[in-house]
Amino acid sequence: MKYEMVCGIETHIELATATKIFCNCTTAFGGSPNTHCCPVCTGQPGSLPILNRKVVEYAVRAGLAVNCTINNNSHMDRKNYVYPDLPKAYQISQFDEPVCENGYITLDSGKKIGITRIHIEEDAGKLVHEAGSTFIDYNRGGVPLIEIVSEPDISTPEEAREYAEKLQLIMRYVGVSDCKMQEGSMRCDVNLSLRPAGTTEFGTRTETKNINSLSNIVKAMNKEIERQEDLLESGGHVVQATMRYDANTDEIYPMRTKENSDDYRYFPDPDILRFTIPQDFVDKTKAELPELPDAKLKRYVDELGLPEVTAREIYKYRRVSEFLDAAVANGAGAKNTANLIIGGIYSTLETEEDKEKFNIKISPKQMAELVKLMDGKKINKNKGQETLLKMLESGKDVSEYIKAEDTAGISDAELEKICAAAAEANADAVEQVRAGNDKAINVIFGYVMRETRGKADMGKVNRIIRQLIG
Amino acid sequence: MALSKEEFEKLAVLSRLRFSDEEAETFRNEMDDIIAFADTINNAVSGGTDDIKNISENAVVYTELRADEVVDSLPNEKILSNVEGSKGFFSVKRCVK
Repeated sequence: MKYEMVCGIETHIELATATKIFCNCTTAFGGSPNTHCCPVCTGQPGSLPILNRKVVEYAVRAGLAVNCTINNNSHMDRKNYVYPDLPKAYQISQFDEPVCENGYITLDSGKKIGITRIHIEEDAGKLVHEAGSTFIDYNRGGVPLIEIVSEPDISTPEEAREYAEKLQLIMRYVGVSDCKMQEGSMRCDVNLSLRPAGTTEFGTRTETKNINSLSNIVKAMNKEIERQEDLLESGGHVVQATMRYDANTDEIYPMRTKENSDDYRYFPDPDILRFTIPQDFVDKTKAELPELPDAKLKRYVDELGLPEVTAREIYKYRRVSEFLDAAVANGAGAKNTANLIIGGIYSTLETEEDKEKFNIKISPKQMAELVKLMDGKKINKNKGQETLLKMLESGKDVSEYIKAEDTAGISDAELEKICAAAAEANADAVEQVRAGNDKAINVIFGYVMRETRGKADMGKVNRIIRQLIG
Repeated sequence: MALSKEEFEKLAVLSRLRFSDEEAETFRNEMDDIIAFADTINNAVSGGTDDIKNISENAVVYTELRADEVVDSLPNEKILSNVEGSKGFFSVKRCVK
């Protein structure tokens, strides 16, 4: 039998607030165990959690960025379960009045993946199991999260990956989280079931928890599809369960059988006041949203004239795209700027994270001064790249490396003269090119570059020399 | 409902608390009072979550919530002052196999 997959994703994202959701402890990553803790986030009796305003603001911003409606009235609920990562035996979360509802993300194909809801909640602590004990670090306990729940609209592992990637980029653009999957500030739980192709009833689903990279989403899903297919084919049935995917061994196995949502005994948290989110605040936040990734990509291609592959290399890192926008605002041509970033700056930034941080020594304005020389053909591509690398090293202006006389340019007549001299001085090479060995032309180019100290426009030189050789 | 001596002792073990016989008797009686008080609340509210929501109808505007400003956390020794076998961590009996 042929099966089709039905999949929805729950994504937990740690918000980039300075303090935890219900107390003033820092949310900084790392730190010695249990040094970012207080009576509230360790659940001591008698302590009073007070909701962090910024958490609500960020949740609203996140919701609007993915086309959600915002509930003007909201409250926190207690989700009860007993596990040592929660000191109170319940997690403060939201049940029936989440901050955001009914949004969507549009994939490149035009297909919309619905977003059921986004709610705010506290993160749990970290457990370390050793010998007969479990050790608990509550530094992460109480760090604010948003949980973004998608509709079961995802039909392939590739769609799941694209959904998660877009979500990650949007959340980075609106500045609510750094969404680092490897550090756990973005984690995906994949709900997946199979049903006979063409039918409409959902099969029994499993939930694969805490997948920590985009590529592992695809791998884990392929593994789980295979497992469920084998089960169904052999006449068995899928049991509702929580699964864990081990990326090292490419294996998937059940962690525990799943509780129903009723088992959590949700009820409104009596310690925390209900809160209202006035519509004028929602409207203002919406008006202040930055340009979102899809709009930016479209602008790069349609208005700045960048090839799509180039535009994608730039837009996928928020800071890089802001740098390019600022350089262009300072008068630089978009194409030369983009090419210098990809060919030059990226070569100095080894990891994805380095590109994400984009800590470089030069300002967009300094970049623009360099690019303008290229745009005006005062210096060629190689010279531009070479100068950029020096600037990145020192943080100095382009004027430090390229003097006014260097960019005076070479008149066409002068360049023709130099080219003629180059052909004459390399008669052998000219003969070889005429005989069909095109590579020999580089000898002549080299001569011209030496004579002009690298200032000549290679496009022009190529044209003149080929004319001369005939 | 009254708490039996056995139930009280079990709770004490789970809570990592130790009592003299005399203290145990005092606290057992106090817990009885607390449970009786909770029973009063139980009887005061009927209905589902909507009714409970109405009790706390006074909502706060989000702008009046807490500002996002870091205050020093408690020192590690202090936060762990009631913990057994710490090494800087809270610890419980191993909770996975």
